[in-house]
Amino acid sequence: MNWIAILLALGVMALLGLVFGIVLSFAAKKFQVDVDERVANVRAALPGANCGACGYVGCDAFAEAVVAGKTPPNGCRAGGAGAAAAIGEALGIEVTPAAPMVACVICQGTAGVAKDRYKYDGYRSCRVAASLSGGPKECRFACIGLGDCAYNCKFGAITMRDGIAYIDKNICAGCGTCAGICPRRVIELKPLNAQVLVRCRNSDVAREARSVCTRACIGCGRCVKECAYDAIHVEDGFARIDSAKCARCGKCVTVCPCKCITLAGAAQDLLESARNNAAV
Amino acid sequence: MSSFRGGIHPMKRQHGGKRPTRDLPIREFISDSVCIPLGARQGPPSVPCVKKGDAVKVGQPIALPGPGPLGLPVHASISGKVTDVVRMAYTGDTPVMCVLIENDFHNTWIDGIYGQREFSAITPESIIPAIRDAGICGMGGASFPTHVKLSIPEGARCDIIIINGTECETFLTADDRLMRETPMRIVNGLRLVMRALSVSRGVIAIEDNKPEALKSILAASANLPGIEVKKLRTSYPQGGEKQLILTVTGREVPSGKLPVAVNAVVLNVATSAAIADAVLQGKPLIERVTTIAGCVKTPANLLLRNGTIIGDAIGECGGYAKTPGKIALGGGMTGICAPNDQVPMTISTSGIVVYDEEEAQSLDEQPCIRCGKCVGACPSGLRPYILKHYCDEGDLIGAQSEHVLDCIVCGSCSYECPAQRWLTASFKNMKDKLALAAKGGNGK
Repeated sequence: MNWIAILLALGVMALLGLVFGIVLSFAAKKFQVDVDERVANVRAALPGANCGACGYVGCDAFAEAVVAGKTPPNGCRAGGAGAAAAIGEALGIEVTPAAPMVACVICQGTAGVAKDRYKYDGYRSCRVAASLSGGPKECRFACIGLGDCAYNCKFGAITMRDGIAYIDKNICAGCGTCAGICPRRVIELKPLNAQVLVRCRNSDVAREARSVCTRACIGCGRCVKECAYDAIHVEDGFARIDSAKCARCGKCVTVCPCKCITLAGAAQDLLESARNNAAV
Repeated sequence: MSSFRGGIHPMKRQHGGKRPTRDLPIREFISDSVCIPLGARQGPPSVPCVKKGDAVKVGQPIALPGPGPLGLPVHASISGKVTDVVRMAYTGDTPVMCVLIENDFHNTWIDGIYGQREFSAITPESIIPAIRDAGICGMGGASFPTHVKLSIPEGARCDIIIINGTECETFLTADDRLMRETPMRIVNGLRLVMRALSVSRGVIAIEDNKPEALKSILAASANLPGIEVKKLRTSYPQGGEKQLILTVTGREVPSGKLPVAVNAVVLNVATSAAIADAVLQGKPLIERVTTIAGCVKTPANLLLRNGTIIGDAIGECGGYAKTPGKIALGGGMTGICAPNDQVPMTISTSGIVVYDEEEAQSLDEQPCIRCGKCVGACPSGLRPYILKHYCDEGDLIGAQSEHVLDCIVCGSCSYECPAQRWLTASFKNMKDKLALAAKGGNGK
């Protein structure tokens, strides 16, 4: 064994390491860029999905904008109250979290409920299907159900079942990407506590709306009469609920002849069972 | 014979799908009622000027031009009573205004349709306004208003008019029959356009799979100065505007530019015939030849009035041979699916192709095997297999860097792909998204 060659190689490597080490440590001092520690701290408080709901290209850009004071620190919709508090801590200021929002599908046109116009067997995209004679469902306001929203959801909150989209409120970060993508605009951002929803926006006259979907809002106005808080109004042929005025009593849900007003969460199950009992 | 790069020969073993109808003469069919869509073409929708209950004559304007230079009037195609003016779902994403007319079978024309006029009586300036007033839009499929195409912008010039008689699409034989049966109308249309734009060279381009049409057009255009007839290789999409210009003149239309950038104007043969009728006889555009093929009992070339319900036209052909699975308006490669057989055809519907349920079945997409057949087929010189990844990912910038906007949506790549990938559909989707993003919408 040639010990000298081994030692020589080791020596050369050690020497090279020493030289590079000196050069690098010099360069590190000489070309140092001052990083604002606060930007890194704010960035760490963000979810990191780069969803773009804040209006910036990603979480890094948003963090820089917050520290520079260009945007309010509660602007991260996906992070919600948690992110707002963490940003407040990082910056040493008080941040009031924005009202938490959640995406809601304003349609109940599942297979069998909304009538089909034709069988769509093409490219799996709602936008493409919508451009062919207004989509595979007769109702031109209905969820097309091919999942452009689910494909683009950064949080995996959307699943397609029975021909319409379902959004898991526990996962949805309220970023609004899906609402922007939907060619039919059936997804709307609503405050998380808005539990009573009119889930139809068909603005055609009652006869037409009813002929294409059994759960279409026909604008009959029974919910408007029932509402004690003046929260429901019929405009453009369908009812809308003002979530600021709504007291979530659920009376409108019981009177709706088309079952197109729904109550979210546990209250929904109670109502369903009440309805079933009444039917029996 | 020179030709563009790429291209395919769809349904080669079935004579390009043309065998069933190519020897059937044009037959006129007038239905009991028509439904004329007012917004089913490029440009602003026309504004209806008749109401329910009005009596109309053939050729009477039922809608006035929409705002802007692209506006066109629409004329009644049959005489009778207007039964409704209503918004109805059509092949596009939004419903369009339609005028429904019930036929009285008197076929009364409006006054003022003069007989054949002589060429010498027509001034060049009067030609383009006459084309607009007749409501003529491109009859090859894209239905772009013809008077706009013929209005050469300031600073540009035009030195060649090409009449597109290639009819490279599968199933369609309507243009072939038109060239065989009324070649004089086509030649006259070309002469009028040449006169209007004071162009001295006109070319009628015909693919070599239509020898009878070639002969007939050659005979009609003999001894006319400046008019050539050019025989082209049978290849799809030979009739694509940019491909045709390249084949005929050797000039390549730059990316994102219109044919006028290389001093050329291309018109379909049916459009040319309509121009002759409009200018020489004062007849507005109310009818066209449509090939009805596929799964119908007796395929035919029918002369249909604008707005004929496709179900009626199929009924005239003996009805469906089997349970229909899909009905395409246009040819087999670029046709748009109709939602049912109760929608009307329009002036740009060159064919109605019916597929049975088995043929309509879509194929499952398989992984790309990088064979490169799509690259060889693409007439625009794109790389469809790479482009598709960007389109599936929704990457607008990436897709533009692969020149998705130069895609002419001819379907050659999808036809050739051994993995049955949805190439063309994804490119069309991306082009729509980019158009939306350019308008300021959310392009995602």
